[in-house]
Parts: sequence; C-alpha cells; structure tokens
Amino acid sequence: MICAGIDAGSRAIKIVLVDGRTLEVVARGVADQGVEQSRLAKELFGAVCRDGGIAPDDVRRTVATGYGRAAVGVADTTVTEITCHAVGVRRRVGDARTVIDIGGEDSKVVRLDGDGKVRDFAMNDRCAAGTGRFLEVVARRLGVPLDGLGYLAADSQTPAAISSMCVVFAETEIIGLLASGTAAKDIIAGVRNSIASRVAAMAGRGLDEPVVFTGGVALVPGMDAALAGAVGRDVRVCPDPQMTGALGAAVLAAQHATRDEGR
Amino acid sequence: MTRPRQITLAQWDDRYADLCRRGLRQTDYGGPLSHHVDDGDHRLTKLLFDDSPAALRLWNLLLTEEDRLHAARQAGKKIVGVMKDLGTIPVMAYALDNLVAFYPDGAWWIPCIMEHSTPLLEIADSLGIDESFCPVRAMLGAFVNGEHFPIPDLLVCSVGAVCDDFSAIAQRLPDLGFDVLWWEIPHRRAPDAGEPTVQLPGNLIAPKSQVEFVMGELDRVRRVLADMAGRPLNDDALSAGIEQANLVRVKLAQLRTRVFTAEPCPMPALEMLIAEMLAIHYCSDRDETLAVLDGLIAEVDARLAANDYGPMANDSPARIFWVNPVADIRVMNLLEQCGGRICGTEYLFSHALDPIDTDVPPLEALARSALADLMVGPVGDRAARILADMERFGSEALLISRIPGASHCALEGRLIADVVSARRRIPILEIEVPSISDAMRPTLQTRIEALVETAVSRRNHRLTRLDTD
Repeated sequence: MICAGIDAGSRAIKIVLVDGRTLEVVARGVADQGVEQSRLAKELFGAVCRDGGIAPDDVRRTVATGYGRAAVGVADTTVTEITCHAVGVRRRVGDARTVIDIGGEDSKVVRLDGDGKVRDFAMNDRCAAGTGRFLEVVARRLGVPLDGLGYLAADSQTPAAISSMCVVFAETEIIGLLASGTAAKDIIAGVRNSIASRVAAMAGRGLDEPVVFTGGVALVPGMDAALAGAVGRDVRVCPDPQMTGALGAAVLAAQHATRDEGR
Repeated sequence: MTRPRQITLAQWDDRYADLCRRGLRQTDYGGPLSHHVDDGDHRLTKLLFDDSPAALRLWNLLLTEEDRLHAARQAGKKIVGVMKDLGTIPVMAYALDNLVAFYPDGAWWIPCIMEHSTPLLEIADSLGIDESFCPVRAMLGAFVNGEHFPIPDLLVCSVGAVCDDFSAIAQRLPDLGFDVLWWEIPHRRAPDAGEPTVQLPGNLIAPKSQVEFVMGELDRVRRVLADMAGRPLNDDALSAGIEQANLVRVKLAQLRTRVFTAEPCPMPALEMLIAEMLAIHYCSDRDETLAVLDGLIAEVDARLAANDYGPMANDSPARIFWVNPVADIRVMNLLEQCGGRICGTEYLFSHALDPIDTDVPPLEALARSALADLMVGPVGDRAARILADMERFGSEALLISRIPGASHCALEGRLIADVVSARRRIPILEIEVPSISDAMRPTLQTRIEALVETAVSRRNHRLTRLDTD
C-alpha cells in the first residue's frame, strides 16, 4: 500500500511516497512552485511515481499540505502544515518536543506533548521578517546565490546589527550598510541573526527540548546555530528538513488509509 | 423542519421569495438581504448567512440603522452620538423617549461592509489619522462627508482610561467643528488596603471613591441630556431605562448560553457577533432589538428541540472562544468553514452584557456598570473573565483577533494568551484582521484550520486515553 504526501509550499512543491505499512520512504521529489500550482503538483506527482516504479493509480491515499494545498487536485484531503510538520518531525526525531519550521513565506513554532500531539503553536504574522523571504531579499540585494549565503556568513566575526523588524525597512538598512562599507558576510550574518531573534520572540519562553529545526531555511549553514543562540536551547536540524511537511502528510495519508481499511 | 444552513446572498433571495409565498411576517425595515447591496453594502455578496427568518430580521435591523436615525430626526427626535463607553450612556439616553442614541464608532465596519467604495479612510488619512490607527478612524470620514449617519445633536465621549488611538481620533472632532461633551472614566484600580470598596458586575471590585467619581461624571451627562430633551431625567426615568436595558441583556445572556453550550451549535459565529452588538445601543431601536432577540432565541430553541441539524459541516467541530471583534466580518464565516464553532466570546464590551444593578440608586448602578468595562481595568481582569467564560462554556481553544492599529489589541493579545496558556493548556491563536482580508484569506484559513485540527486532535487523544483507562 503506497501513500503520498504533497507539501505545496510558497517556494517549492515537495512530494514523498511511503509504504503505508512500514512508513518507509519509497520515493521523493522537489520542484519549484509556480503560477499553475495544480498542474505543477500533478506533474511532480507523476515524476515521483515514475521514480519509485509506482503507477499513480496504485497510490492508495494522498494528503496535501502547505500554502497551496487547496490547489492540489490529486489529493484526497488536506491537512495544515502545523500537523504535518509535527508528524513528519516525530517520524524523523522520535522524541522531539518543539518544532521550529522556517519556510519561504512563514515560520512556525509547534509545541508537542510527550505523545507527539500538537499542544500549541505560533505562526508569524503578516510580516516576512522571520522567514526565508528575508534571506531571498538579502541575496538579491547582494547579488549572491541563495544557497551560498550560509557559507559566506560563516566567516563573519562581526555580524551587522539589523534593527528593523520589517523586511521592507530592513532592506533600506542593508542599503545603508552597504553604502557604509559593511562586508557582505557581516550583513548576511546580521540578517540570519535577525530571523533567529524574530522566531525566538514568537516562540516565547521555556521551549521544551529536544528542539528540532525544519523547513527549507534549515538547509542554510549556520542558521541552526543562530537559532540556538536566540532561543537558548540546543537546536537539532531535522534530517532532510525540506521534506518534513510532505513526509508528515504521507504518514497521515497512511494512517487514514489504515483507518479506512479497518472500517 | 427544513434543515438550517449557511447560505449565500443569492440563495437568500430564493429563500426569501419562498418564505414570502409561505406568508413571512415582516417589519417595516424588512425585505430581501440583497437590496442592501444596492445601497453599496457589497461585502454581503461574499458572506454566508444563517438561513432563518430570525437571522434575516437581525441583518435587516443592522443594515437599516442609518435610515432609522434619519427618520428619527425627521420625526423631531434629538440624536445623541455616543463614543467609546460601549453601553452606559445609551441606557441614559433611551430613558428619554425623544432621544435616540447611537455609536458613530460603529462606522468602523463601513469600509468593510461597503468594500472601500466610500472614501472614509482616505478622509481620515487626509486629517492625519492614518492606517497606524484603528479602523474606527472611518468615523472621522463619516463626520466629514455626512453621507452615512446624521450628524448628532450632541456628542458624548468618555476619556481617561480609554484606547490611546480612539482618544486621538475623537480629539480631532472638535477641530472639525463637532463639539464633544467629554466625561472621564478612570483606570479601575485595585483598592488600597482598608479602602472602602464596591462590588461591580462581572465579579469585579473597585474603590468606592472611583464609583463616586464616575457618578459625578455621569450626573453631568444626565443634566445635559435632560436639557436637550427638555424634560427631567430623574431616578425613576433612569431606573426604567435600566430595566429595559436589563431586558436586552438577559435575553442576550439566554441566547449566548444556549448557543455556546449546545451541541451541535445552533447559530453561526457571524450572526452571534451581530446579535451581541445589539447590547451596546440596541441598533437605535430598543423595542425592535428585544423582538429580534426573541426571534433568535425561538429559532435556537426550535433547532435544539428538533435536534436534527447543525449549521456546521463538521459533526463535532472544535469549540472556539473568540476574543475581540473583527474588522472584516467575513472572517467569522471562516470559523465554520475551517471546522470550528463559536463557543464563547469577549468582544471588548462584556460589561454591556452583564445586568446593571437594580438594588442601588440608578446613577450609582450605571457608574458601577461603566467601571466594570474590561477595557478600563488591568488586562488581568480581562483574562480572568475570559478564563471563567471558557470554563463555563467548555471552550477547547482560544482565538484572539487583533484589530490593526487598536492599542488595546496590540498590548493585550499576548498577555491574555500568556495568562490563559498558564492556566489552561489549550491551543491559542492570534491573528490580525484588516477591514478587507481577502488577500490574507489563505493564511488566515491555514491558521484557523491548524487551531481547529489541534483542538480536535487533543480532544480525540484525551478521549482515547479515557477509553484506555
């Protein structure tokens, strides 16, 4: 029994296929998000099925999550990212008690109870200051590839202070820092710290450990350390962090399929 | 019995025609909901409505208020514009039968209802009151362009322990040529050791000196109202006004208790929000407010007795307690669409829902009621009220909706969340809702769905544990 999870995020679509009995991943894929979300999700779904040697019709159940979940036509049902990330992280890190997810357009902190159920959560408001969007803005402004930001910032000894809590105002600050000769690596490190402090403010006090970091921004080198400093806890990066939401959706799809079989 | 549903405006047109064929009894302000769209109320085309005749009457009462105020002026009545106190001064004004009171503050919903087709916010911008202020700034635009409510014969506004942003907005009015009778409401403080105290509605206490101070302030207002009406506003008249106000409050309490505690939920969140708003100034018609509430209670009772319906798609929706009114009323529909149901509210005027004392002189009773306003005291009092009501109604999650620019919301949301979280380990969500939230709808929907999922998951987990035990 094969089940699928589709995470239709703001920046990328992620798909995971799992064996519904063992919950082992049998195929996975990522594609850039675009205007035609439904078509893109369907194409990626087909490609991932091909990679796994599975006929799309043999996928028993599909759960979609993420910002564009409603546009995923191949899904049987939708579940929010909060629940999916919690399930996905617990699948990877069995004792996780706090999940910090930083994606392209939003960030969230999910608190779990001992059984892995969501106890409470917080999400960023309309502002993009605590999200991957901030990194995109600085990458564009500095003319640096997004995936090279972390490596550049690794050499920073004196991260710049970014005082604005708004991406638009912060961009103005970055222009000012560049004009005053601040090194790109210090600006990037400053932005990284700014994102971390924004997420820490949203998380509040007393995070239960282990704290697990997931989402696409977790792939940025050094982001975990910045986050750990801001929240005052050790922070573990979830294995394959970009796929956590899709994995959780696939696990939930398997649970739904099993429940349906029992009826 | 026809299964009640939430329906669109177009569906309401068909239903209205059907109800008329079957002999629907209507008031002089009745009619199909869609005729309000002709007046510019475009937001109605995007809402889902409860499909009962009682809800139709509620909506029609709300959406004809400006007509009613203009008609009152034509009939020779004096119009009192009351601002900020939310529920006290109107009790005094309606004690005189040639006065009609309303809240110009209510213009904060006009940009939403008319989907920005009227330039009220732009006028406020031009007066230096920009979007960093609460949407109640639309009131300034309505005063300037005179295209909505009639300009009141008297403006009465509380100052002191009120929202910073509202004070700034109201203080622009005298500059614009609209005189205001200001009265002071002090910050309700904890009594000093040994200081004489007074029990207030809502299980609050205040120093006796503060109650006496507010009595003095209200007495000033009383004299001005009496002068304008040309007749005395004595204790007997005030007591009669309080009695009528309490009738409204008792009926609202019945409606809220029935709806918030019933399973399944017999009335959607949006209609409950509108109904609760009637407490403040009766939508400019106290008798009709009583009739509308009677109709809603009868409808709810009939639905509960029939026990064969639920306006919600979900069989066991998450029981959500909602804090603060929303600038965009369409968001209330999202609650049911996301699998939730309304189960308790604190819309910043809980003091207007509590009966006014009748065992003390009426001016003292009104002073006690005014001081029981949760917005004039410490946020801990508000959190305590929310906690008590959540317990009473069996709420499973808390949703705090901030009003952009509103100083109370900016300060209090996080504090309320912290207090509730410490006492009851339940999921809590804070959102911000602008006057038109369509562009944010996917993000708002994700957040509310996540709250609902979390609450239902926790409930199921708890039940599973109980089964196992």
